Amino acid sequence: MQNILAVMLQTSINQTSPPLPADNASIWHHMADALHQSFDRILSLLIAILPGILAFLVSLAVFSLIGIALSALLHRGLTAAKLDEHLAHGRGNSDWMPSTSPTALIARASFWACVLLGLIIGVSAFDASFSTATALPSLFLTYLTRVAEAAVLLIAGTLVARFLARSVLIGAVNEQLQYARFLSLGIKWLVLVLTAAMVLDHLQMGGHVVELAFGILFGGIVLTLALAVGLGSRDLVSRSLEKHSGHSGEYSAAPPATPTSGSGDSIRHF
Amino acid sequence: MATTAPSSDSATTSAPPGNGLLVLLAAMTPEQFEQVFASLTASFPAEDLLIASPNAISADAHSSLRIVSAPANNPAWTLTAADFANAGQLAEKNEARAILMLGPESGSLGPPALRELANAVLSTTDLAVPCYDLPPHAGLVNSAILYPLTRALFASRVRFPLADALGLSLRMAKCMADAARRFTAINQGERPLWPVNEATVAGFAIEQFDVGACVQPAGPDLNTILPLVAGSLFSDIKAKAAFWQRFRPLPPADNFTLMPLAPSADAVVDITLMLSAFQLAYSNLHEIWSLVLPPNSLLGLKRLSTTDAAAFHMPEDLWARIVYDFLLAYRLRTINRGHLLGALIPLYLAWVASHINITASGTDPERHIEAVAAAFEADKTYIVSRWRWPDRFNP
Repeated sequence: MQNILAVMLQTSINQTSPPLPADNASIWHHMADALHQSFDRILSLLIAILPGILAFLVSLAVFSLIGIALSALLHRGLTAAKLDEHLAHGRGNSDWMPSTSPTALIARASFWACVLLGLIIGVSAFDASFSTATALPSLFLTYLTRVAEAAVLLIAGTLVARFLARSVLIGAVNEQLQYARFLSLGIKWLVLVLTAAMVLDHLQMGGHVVELAFGILFGGIVLTLALAVGLGSRDLVSRSLEKHSGHSGEYSAAPPATPTSGSGDSIRHF
Repeated sequence: MATTAPSSDSATTSAPPGNGLLVLLAAMTPEQFEQVFASLTASFPAEDLLIASPNAISADAHSSLRIVSAPANNPAWTLTAADFANAGQLAEKNEARAILMLGPESGSLGPPALRELANAVLSTTDLAVPCYDLPPHAGLVNSAILYPLTRALFASRVRFPLADALGLSLRMAKCMADAARRFTAINQGERPLWPVNEATVAGFAIEQFDVGACVQPAGPDLNTILPLVAGSLFSDIKAKAAFWQRFRPLPPADNFTLMPLAPSADAVVDITLMLSAFQLAYSNLHEIWSLVLPPNSLLGLKRLSTTDAAAFHMPEDLWARIVYDFLLAYRLRTINRGHLLGALIPLYLAWVASHINITASGTDPERHIEAVAAAFEADKTYIVSRWRWPDRFNP
């Protein structure tokens, strides 16, 4: 198909205009030069990158091996020294899980410390090999760091959102709030929206649009929750106010919404 | 009115009384204090009493009594780690032979009960525990969780492991003080301790005495106190796992029999609110429960969630399995411990509703509680097995 098109174009060019061999040759020459130059630049960039990547990989591999050796050594040494038993004796609790015993934790921590050290040294070597090259890779590295920080922020935000959502859900269910799930979802999305805004801001993406969108979304969720809670718990609030006005100054308040019975205090849990 | 020793140093040493008994009173309101004082003076001769109290005491009214001041603790609804730490310290300083610890509601104990507790620890017993005669719908956390767990795991028939009054021998007081210091050292002096478990592990002699009716602590909020008490007991069980995993026979019940509970006017109770709490929790907390409970228990709960109030009955073995699975999840930290214990509350309310239904049908409440305890004992192999191999397949 392409051949047919090429033949057709050639014939049409031949028919409409006279050939300009000198100009064509000059254009092709310039294009070939440009292509050669860009190819050279890519090659030189690759040549500049490759030692850095190699240094990074070697550093990571070497420190991982050191970590494995150190971890095994520590595990064996601490097991021989009966660290778990000594700690359990001092703490009065011998209930270690095999995977969470102090010996296993120390050995694992030493391994990951070595891996982290290898990563840091590898990145430094990578950075050093780039410092001689163009400014673009250093910018790229800086942005990569930001992306890593943003990822940590995103993970932390998601965990906090999940924890708070569960706390609110259990608390609201125990307080007999019918909209417990809605409240829990609202809290979860509040934290997630906040996290997303922080992540985008950290990545310097979106600019003022993110701030504006965050403000609108956050305010909207808060307003929705306030309306839902306000409308849904009128009875609860009025009961609470009545109780406080009737029993102000007493030693301890009775459970606010713990279901006991329909006949007053005939059930005593303690 | 003049007061004695309220501000004096807690290190003040007093000569031991004739019989070597030290009475330690917990922090309490003036009314509770006067009530406890009246019971004490009616129970013992004044020369036999050495009282330690954090309260300010009127010298005019109690001039014949020997009183030392105890370090002030925050008022609590039961005896706490700080109280046990003080008891050990004061017993040592005052060369006491035995200690009678009285909580805020101990004023309702009659003089014979106080004498029995004191005489037991002054002779051969290490831990004297009261057994209260409560109305059918009282002390339910104790009946649902504390008593069955303590009985199944520690092979003890003590009916009220978290009593408000205790008699301790000197070595028991020292043992409890050691256990308490672990918590007071990390600023957790308000946690309850488990003297029955400590005494069982130490191999000390335990005796319980029928003390009749008792005024119960006023107004502890279930949502706050149940996680506190259950968490504290789970933590104690976790710490003593090496002890309870071995089989120990339950001592015979011949030496002590509970008084049959008199039917009271509050025997009929509306369980609708408790059931709606359980149903609400079933529709909202199912996801969290499924992290903790095996499919078989979830199926049982599903059936219960659709049962109407009149026929609502939680099988004893299902309740035992639920408590054991929560205990295991507490140990493994399957989910956050605060969340875990919060998620137990609606299930406990379902058990309460079931217990009320059963007692309303004419069954003796004590018989049902014994059946629950027996279910815990029968299922002990399950918790031992899962404690050792938590990752095994569990349908």
